[in-house]
Amino acid sequence: MTAATLEAGRQGHLDLLGWIATTDHKRIGVLYGVTALGFFLVAGLLALVMRAELAVPGLQLVGEQTYSGLFTIHGTAMMLLFATPMVSAFANFLVPLQVGAADMVFPRLNALSYWLFLFGGLVILSGFLVASGPADIGWTGYAPNSTLPYSTTTGTDLWVVGLLLTGVATIFGAVNFVTTIVTRRAPGMGLLRMPVFTWSILVTSILILYAFPAITAALIMLLLERRFGATFFDPTAGGDPILWQHLFWFFGHPEVYIIAIPFFGVIGETIPVFSRKPLFGYKAFVLATIFIGAYSMTVWAHHMFTTGAVNLPFFAATSFLIAVPTGVKFFNWTFTMIGGRLTFPAPMLWSVGFLFTFLFGGITGVMLASPPLDFQFQDTYFVVAHLHNVLVGGSIFSMWAGITFWFPKVTGRRLNEPLAKAQFWLWTIGFVVTFLPQYQLGADGMPRRYADYPADAGWTTLNMISTVGAFLLALSVLVFLIAVVEALRRPADAGPDPWQANSLEWWADSPPGHHNFPNLPPIRSERPVFDAREAARAAANGEPPAGSAVAPAPAGPGPVGPAPAGGSPEAPA
Amino acid sequence: MTARRRATAIAGLTAIGVVAAGCLPAPATVEARRTADLYTTFVAVAAVVAAIVIGLSVFAIVRYRARGDETLPRQVIGNTRLEAVWTAIPLITVAVLFGLTVLVLNAFDDATRAAAGVEIRVTGFRWGWRFEYPAEGIRMEGVGRPGPEAYVPVGENIHVTLTGADVIHSFFVPQFLFKRDAIPGRLNEFAFTVDAPGRYGGQCAEFCGLYHSQMPFTIVAVSPADYEAWVAAHRGGGAGASASPGVAPGGSASPAASTAAGASTSPGASTSPGGSAAPEPSR
Ligand code: HEM
Ligand SMILES: [Cu+2]
Ligand SMILES: [Cu+2]
Repeated sequence: MTAATLEAGRQGHLDLLGWIATTDHKRIGVLYGVTALGFFLVAGLLALVMRAELAVPGLQLVGEQTYSGLFTIHGTAMMLLFATPMVSAFANFLVPLQVGAADMVFPRLNALSYWLFLFGGLVILSGFLVASGPADIGWTGYAPNSTLPYSTTTGTDLWVVGLLLTGVATIFGAVNFVTTIVTRRAPGMGLLRMPVFTWSILVTSILILYAFPAITAALIMLLLERRFGATFFDPTAGGDPILWQHLFWFFGHPEVYIIAIPFFGVIGETIPVFSRKPLFGYKAFVLATIFIGAYSMTVWAHHMFTTGAVNLPFFAATSFLIAVPTGVKFFNWTFTMIGGRLTFPAPMLWSVGFLFTFLFGGITGVMLASPPLDFQFQDTYFVVAHLHNVLVGGSIFSMWAGITFWFPKVTGRRLNEPLAKAQFWLWTIGFVVTFLPQYQLGADGMPRRYADYPADAGWTTLNMISTVGAFLLALSVLVFLIAVVEALRRPADAGPDPWQANSLEWWADSPPGHHNFPNLPPIRSERPVFDAREAARAAANGEPPAGSAVAPAPAGPGPVGPAPAGGSPEAPA
Repeated sequence: MTARRRATAIAGLTAIGVVAAGCLPAPATVEARRTADLYTTFVAVAAVVAAIVIGLSVFAIVRYRARGDETLPRQVIGNTRLEAVWTAIPLITVAVLFGLTVLVLNAFDDATRAAAGVEIRVTGFRWGWRFEYPAEGIRMEGVGRPGPEAYVPVGENIHVTLTGADVIHSFFVPQFLFKRDAIPGRLNEFAFTVDAPGRYGGQCAEFCGLYHSQMPFTIVAVSPADYEAWVAAHRGGGAGASASPGVAPGGSASPAASTAAGASTSPGASTSPGGSAAPEPSR
């Protein structure tokens, strides 16, 4: 279906109605991905305007009010209209394929959640169209600054309503993923044979079901307070501003992991493939994923150390602890590479790049977990650097790894390697130049969310460097878009398994047919496609069949054709 | 690109990172010196951790790069003992960091509970600061730039009680390596002892609306004798107040800046406690 559509699109007859009415998880995945990238471009443009404004002291491009709108919508859109839906994009496309299912359990609910997301996103952005401008309260929307009379723009109401819609969409999606993973696994695929990406989506979805109701409640309270006279957050009427922060971060901290865990899962898929080895310590990786998910529910108040309203040692301890399972994953990844046979096409470059950039985000995260250090860094550019280090250096690096990895599966075409590599190097350099100087700015004491800074503060040079980096990042995105257009103009010739990969999606055609699989290989490990390929190769060479853990042996030729159908006798665990 | 060149590039990136995560301002208070020491310890531990992780990755990339041979490597699936070790070592590391953190937090608490040399009540409002010295009968307020100047004696425990008048602000003096939120409806307490005379710039660190970036203040630390003189000149309010109307960079839409002692009638203070006036958005 997808192939035919893309083909038709090339000739100018896009099957528009088919896309709008679709309930196919692959099409919904593509819709999610393309829409999320659209919001990424918008939010990125807003970031460029902010960085241009901050290049030198003084207000040149925008005023204070506009600047507030820019960082509010940039942060909100990047987190909730780009990164979170991008998780849904990957999960929609991949989860049914990875577990060997024909579709999600609730295809129509799936379509509904996409349309709710799109609509909610447009409602948030429509703040730019109203006379009083978009929401001006930061992505964190702290009360009472977000209540009347302090935030007077209608854009803030649109922000609240839009976020409510996208939040419900995210919850629907999570219900669908959990159900699909639990009930639709192919025969033989026990829980401990699931690909780590699917494991990550399972944990993430449970986290969504835990976190999003809190923000939904908080947003409704804010709307009641803004428009219907409630006083939840108003201290002059018995309310408490701190309540908002608890509700927000009860959601907000897990949210950070909602857009990190799936991408850790992506790296857990790519590194084994390009090391030609299984993931080192699969069970430890899964366990670490579960621990990260669980701990992430206990650390929210580390965002509130400077309020003087939370127990500092408790939340410091839980925040420090979360470094441990994250460290375990690092060792899983590096020890998968050690002893392997490493190749470095674009997805592997991104994966290795991720290891280095995310490391810095993790380390500065441990610093922020220490309240005395946080007293200096909180609400400065140190936090801006840290959060982008984790989100851009962590999630977005691995998102690019995932996009370049699965692009052939989704479109049937490989990306042009030199273009993809150019994008990687531009992004990596741009990332370092943009965000590393911000650590020093923050240590010096430059607060975040400042439209302007004094010329005599000594912050000008580092800000200028950071701005140059932002434009390198923009250039990198441009190269990516060119690579995509270039690829889509070629015929689909990637074949089912261009990377000699491991999990079931590589068994299906590229792009997969309507119901994904005409047949399935036996599932006897977490790498069924690897097993089938090795079995076919061994048979061709007249060797005795080998299991999953085989000794050094010559690698097979290209992708192998469908093997005899049949599952292993075990039922799903 | 050869393996060696790639390794060099990565080593360079690492060096940049270590430099960039960089240096704090010179600590100006007794408490800030503790924070600075703690930070140094964290950076040292971080450098070791980064060296180990980066070292392992670079080793893997350089040593195990495919060199044309098509053989499948040994399919190792894990090693329980190794995995236990790399769980235990980070656990011990963060436990130590946590212990050091708690020691510093306890010191901060002790300072807050200690007998105060000077009591100051600080209130953040849209968009300025009010400093009140109840014992000395001084009350001063400043809006916009350059903001109010609060004098304190060096070497004495300065006890601050902090609140917000309308929305949340945050009292932040970078050279004190410290900030605390000024929250309406709540009183936050902290204390500091300044080491040496000097002017220490402060600013709002919690986003509070339109002119969040235009509400600085200055803590002026002077010798106890000079402090007494300052108090004598300002006692009871009014005297010596320098009204310094100024315009913040960016021009007409900025709040007028003024400093007034003894009265809160400064022009441009758009909100009094309770917050009646909301700003006009500047389109
Ligand atoms: C790729 C290039 C990016 C650039 C150049 C960039 C730049 C910026 C800038 C200039 C700010 C405002 C800083 C301030 O005034 O305090 C900001 C804030 C923020 N950014 Fe980005 N950003 C980028 C990508 C991202 C991504 C990918 C995400 C999330 C997935 C993200 C999430 C945020 C958040 C949450 C904030 C805080 C907003 C707030 O203060 O309310 N950014 N970014
Ligand atoms: Cu957090
Ligand atoms: Cu402020």
